[in-house]
Amino acid sequence: MAGVAWHYVLKFIITGDAAVGKSSLLVRLTDQRFLANPDPTLGVEFGSKLITIPEENKVVKLQCWDTAGTESFRSITRSYYRGAAGCLLVYDVTSRQSFINVRSWLQDVREHADPHLTCILVGNKIDLCADDAGAAAAAGGGPRRKREVSTDEGELWAKEEGLLFVEASAKSGENVEEAFECATRNILEKVRRGVFDDDRSPGVKLSKPSSGVALNEDIRGSCC
Amino acid sequence: MEFLSQINIALRGPTGQPQSAADTIARLADRLSPSTLLADRRAAVLALKGLARDWKADVGQLTLHGLLDVLQNDAEVDADIGKAVLETLILLCEVDENAPAAARDLGYKHTDVVLADDKVAQKLFALMADHSFYLRYSALQFLSILLQNRRQAVQGYFLKAPVGVTSLIALLEDKREIIRNEAIFIIQSIISQSPEIQKIMAFEGAFEKLFNIIVGEQGLEGGVVVQDALTCIDGLLRFNQSNQSYFRGSSLPPVLLSLVGFPPNLPFNTPTPQQFALQLWDVPQKRANATLVVGVVGLLARHAGPPDGLSIACTRCLTEFGLASNAPTNIKTQALHLVPSNVSGLPLAEMVVTPYVPVPDTNGEEWDRLEPASALDALVELILHGEYNNIIDGERRTKDGMELRGAALGIFQNFVQKEEISEAIVQAMVAQPGSQAPATPLLYALTTVPVSPLNVPSVTSTHFATLLFAHLLRASPRAKATARSIVPQAGSPGGGGGAFFVPADGGPPPPGNDDDPADADGPQTLLQILSEHLSLAFLARARADLPDKEAREWDRLCVGYLCLLIQWLWEDPAAVREFLEAGALGVLVEPINQTVEEDAMIPGLCAFLLGVIYEFNREPGEVTRAVIHPILTRLGIDMLSGRLIHLRDDDRFRAVGPDSFVVASPGAHVPPHLPQGAPAAGLPKPEIEEGEIWFDWAFVDFWKSNYYTIQKGVAVDPNALSSAAGQESAMLIASLRDVIRNQAAEIEKLQTQLKAVSAASGETDALRAQVASLTEQLETSDQKKKDVEKEQDDLLVLLDELNSKRRKDKERMRQANMEVSEDEEEEDDEDEDEE
Repeated sequence: MAGVAWHYVLKFIITGDAAVGKSSLLVRLTDQRFLANPDPTLGVEFGSKLITIPEENKVVKLQCWDTAGTESFRSITRSYYRGAAGCLLVYDVTSRQSFINVRSWLQDVREHADPHLTCILVGNKIDLCADDAGAAAAAGGGPRRKREVSTDEGELWAKEEGLLFVEASAKSGENVEEAFECATRNILEKVRRGVFDDDRSPGVKLSKPSSGVALNEDIRGSCC
Repeated sequence: MEFLSQINIALRGPTGQPQSAADTIARLADRLSPSTLLADRRAAVLALKGLARDWKADVGQLTLHGLLDVLQNDAEVDADIGKAVLETLILLCEVDENAPAAARDLGYKHTDVVLADDKVAQKLFALMADHSFYLRYSALQFLSILLQNRRQAVQGYFLKAPVGVTSLIALLEDKREIIRNEAIFIIQSIISQSPEIQKIMAFEGAFEKLFNIIVGEQGLEGGVVVQDALTCIDGLLRFNQSNQSYFRGSSLPPVLLSLVGFPPNLPFNTPTPQQFALQLWDVPQKRANATLVVGVVGLLARHAGPPDGLSIACTRCLTEFGLASNAPTNIKTQALHLVPSNVSGLPLAEMVVTPYVPVPDTNGEEWDRLEPASALDALVELILHGEYNNIIDGERRTKDGMELRGAALGIFQNFVQKEEISEAIVQAMVAQPGSQAPATPLLYALTTVPVSPLNVPSVTSTHFATLLFAHLLRASPRAKATARSIVPQAGSPGGGGGAFFVPADGGPPPPGNDDDPADADGPQTLLQILSEHLSLAFLARARADLPDKEAREWDRLCVGYLCLLIQWLWEDPAAVREFLEAGALGVLVEPINQTVEEDAMIPGLCAFLLGVIYEFNREPGEVTRAVIHPILTRLGIDMLSGRLIHLRDDDRFRAVGPDSFVVASPGAHVPPHLPQGAPAAGLPKPEIEEGEIWFDWAFVDFWKSNYYTIQKGVAVDPNALSSAAGQESAMLIASLRDVIRNQAAEIEKLQTQLKAVSAASGETDALRAQVASLTEQLETSDQKKKDVEKEQDDLLVLLDELNSKRRKDKERMRQANMEVSEDEEEEDDEDEDEE
C-alpha cells in the first residue's frame, strides 16, 4: 500500500446556490476532469486530494465536503460548517441571483462555523463569458452567456467581507486548484501565527508524515 | 423513601379512604404544574415513576404532557428531577416485544406524543452534553428507546439539531465507559439507513474516534464494546460511497488490517507472518469481532475501477484468511465469499500461500506448516479435500466445512470466467505427445472409481471435482474440445479400475466391466471414463440391499456425473457422438423408465441429458437422431417433459440459491426417538450440524435457462434442423442473415470494382488494336522496304552486268580502234544517269 504522507489534514466545505458548479469544481480538483451533466447533489459528497504548498514545504491533504445547494438540504449542510477549516463560497458569474444569494450563505457560515474559518469567494463558469476576458478560444463553442457579475464587483464585495477571491472555471480547469491552494496558504498562515494552537477547530489536523500505521500520530494530532 | 409515603397519602387520600388510581394520578399530574414548588414536583415525578409500571395507560394519558414540561423546564436545573422524569418517560415509552399488542401500542402511542415536535428530541440532544452523569445517561437511554420505536422521526430531528452530532461524537471520548458504550449503541441505531447522518458522522470524525476506542480496548481481543464499535464502522461504510472514499483515503485502513494481524504493507512476494496465520480463537467474542473486521475488509476489497493498492491488500488478506490460516471455519467462509468477483486484481496462480494443518490429537494447539503452494492449488485442494484435508471432520460432512468449500468453489468459478484461463487449465490436463498425462488433483478426484461401500470423503471429492470441471467447460467451446482429448494416466484409478467393482448381489455386471473392450483398445478418454462410472453408479444404486445412507451417496455421485455431462455435451456434437459411442444410451434410458421411483431427481437429470444428446446429436455416426427418436417416443414425450418439470420441484434443487447451496443433511444420523443431547447416542459431536450439497447455482441457472429448449427439442422430428426455434436458433438465423447481408454488400462492391476494371480493359483493347494495326503497318512498311532493297540489289546486279558488258564492249571497240571514253568518267556519268 502506498505510504500515507501528509503534514496536515484540512477539512473544506463547498457551498453556494444550486447549479453554480460546486460538484464540478470538486470533481475537477480530485479527478482533473469536467463533470458534464451532473445530477444535483443530495446531501453531501466527499472528495479528497493531496496538494503541496512548495513555499512552506508542506504536503496537505484536503478533505472536501461538497454540499447540496438545494434549499431542502440546507439544514443538513449546516451541520458541516462547524468542523471545517476552509470554505469555498461559490457563485455563478453569469447569474446575478447566485451572487446575491452568496450573502445568505455567508451569513450561514458566519453563524455556524468556527470564527477562524478561511473563506474564499469563487466566481465560477468564467468559460461561458470568456470573450470579455479576451480569451475567446478557451470557451470552446459552448453556449455563450452574458456575464452578470463583473470581476471588480466580486472582488470589491469579497474585500468588504474579508474574504479571499478568485474567478475560476470548472470546465477549463482555470484557477480551480489555485482557489484551493490560496485558501490552504491562508490557513497554514493562520496555523503559523498560532491561531489554531488551542486546537479548538476540528478542521485542522496535524499529522506526522508516516507510512503505514499512522493511527497513533493521527490521534495525538486530533484529540490532545 | 419519602416518595413512598407520598404515594400512600395520595392513594389513601387525606381522609384515609382508598382512592382509585386514576384519581391519584390526576392529583399527581396537577402537582407537576410549574406553579408548585420544585420539591413538590420532584416528589410527584417520583410518585408517578412508581405508578408508571402498573398504570401505564393512566399515567401516560394524564401526565405525559406535564412530564414533558418538567423535562423541558427543570431537568437542567435539578439533576434529580431530570433523572426521575427521564426514567418515568422511559417506562411509559418502553415497548416490550413479548407484551400483548395493546401494551405495545401504548408504548408507541406515548412515543408518538413525545416526538410530536422536535422540542423533546432537541432537549435530549442538549442533555447529552450535560455534566451530570445520571442525566446524561438517562437522556441517552431514553433516546435509545425513542430510536427503537420511531427511528425515522428521531433521525429527522437529529439532522436538524444544531449540535446533536457533535455532542454525540464527543461522548465517544467520555471517560466513563458506561456513557461511551451507550453512545456507541445510539450511533449504531441512529445511522441506520440514513446516508446523511452517516456522512455527518464521518465528517465529525466518528471513524477516528471509533478506532481509538477499538485500539484502546485491545483490538480484536477486546470485549463487546469493540464489537459494537466495529458494527458502527460497518454501518457507516456499507452502502455509503461517499464515506467509503473518505475512509479509503484516510490513514485508517492499515489500522483495520493490523487489527487482524495482517501487515498492511506486506510485499506481494513475502509470506504472511505466523501471528496472522495462527491465532488463538477460543474466545467467542474474538470471533464476533473478527467477523466484523473481515466484513469491512471485504467492503474495501471491492473497488470500482482498476484495483488499487488497498483493494489488492484487502483481497489478499481475505484470501490468506480463507486458505492459509487457522481462523474458525465460518470466518474463512465469510472471507472467501467476500473476495471480489473480479479476482483479476489478484493473480491466484502466482500468489504463494503457506497453509497450516493441525497436528492430530493436539486439540488445535500445535500446527504443522505445509510447503508453500500457489494459491490456486491451495484453493483446488481445499475444494476437493476440505479444510485441513478433512483431518478434523473425517467422515462427517459438517455444514461449516461444506460452506467453506462452496465459497472456495465460488472463487474458482470467478477465476475461470475468462476463457483463456479455463482453456489453459484444461490444456494442462492433456498429455503432451511422448509423455504421460499429468495427474492433476482435479483429474484424479474426477476419475476416482466409485467402489462399494462408498466412503464419504471420496464421494465428496469426486462430486466437487465434477463441479470444478463443469465450471471449466460450461462457457467455452474450445475448452470442451480440448477436454475431449484428455486421456487420464493409465496408472490413475480411472484406467482399468472398473475391475475392482464387484456387485455384491451378483447382479448384472456393468457393461464396461466384464469384457473391457475399451481397456483392450488402450487408455480411455475422460468422457468414456465418466460414462463408465455413471453406469457403475446406476448399477450400484439399483441394488436392493443397499442401506439408505449409502444409496444417498450413490445418488450424489450420479447427480455429479450427470450435471457435468449435461453441461459438457450441451452444444458439443462431437462430445455427444463420443458419449453415444461409449454406449451411453442404454445407461440413461433405464433410470428414466423406472416407475416405482419416488425420487424425481435422477430421472429428471437423465431425461435432460437424453434431451441434450438428442438435440445436439448432429454429427454423422452410428447412433443418429433417427435411431434415438423411436426411443424417445416409446418413453413418451409427455413423460420426459414431466420428468424435467418434476426436477424443478425437487426440494434439493429449489434450495439452491446464488449464495447458498449447502442444505442440511436429513437427520438420518440422530434417531428422532432419542432425547435431545443424550450422550448415550454415541455420536462424536452431536452439536455439529451436518450439511450436504447436490447442485450448485451455476447448474441451476444453466438448467433454468435451457430446460425449455430441451423440453421442446425432444418433441421435434429427427430430420428437423435445429431445436424448436429456441432463442438461440433465432439468434443464429439473425447472425447468419447478418453474414448474408455483409456478403451481399461485398458482392455488390466487388461488382462495381469489376465494372471499373472492365472499363479499363476496354481501353486496353483499343490500345491493343492500335498496337496491332501499327504493327501491321510496320510490317507492311518493312516489307516495302525489303522489296525496295531487293529491287535495288537487282538493279545493282543489273548495273554490274551492264558495266561488265560495257567494259567488254569497250574492250572490243578499243580493239576495233574505235574512240573510247575514260572508264571512270563514263562510269560516273553512267551512275548519274542511272539515278
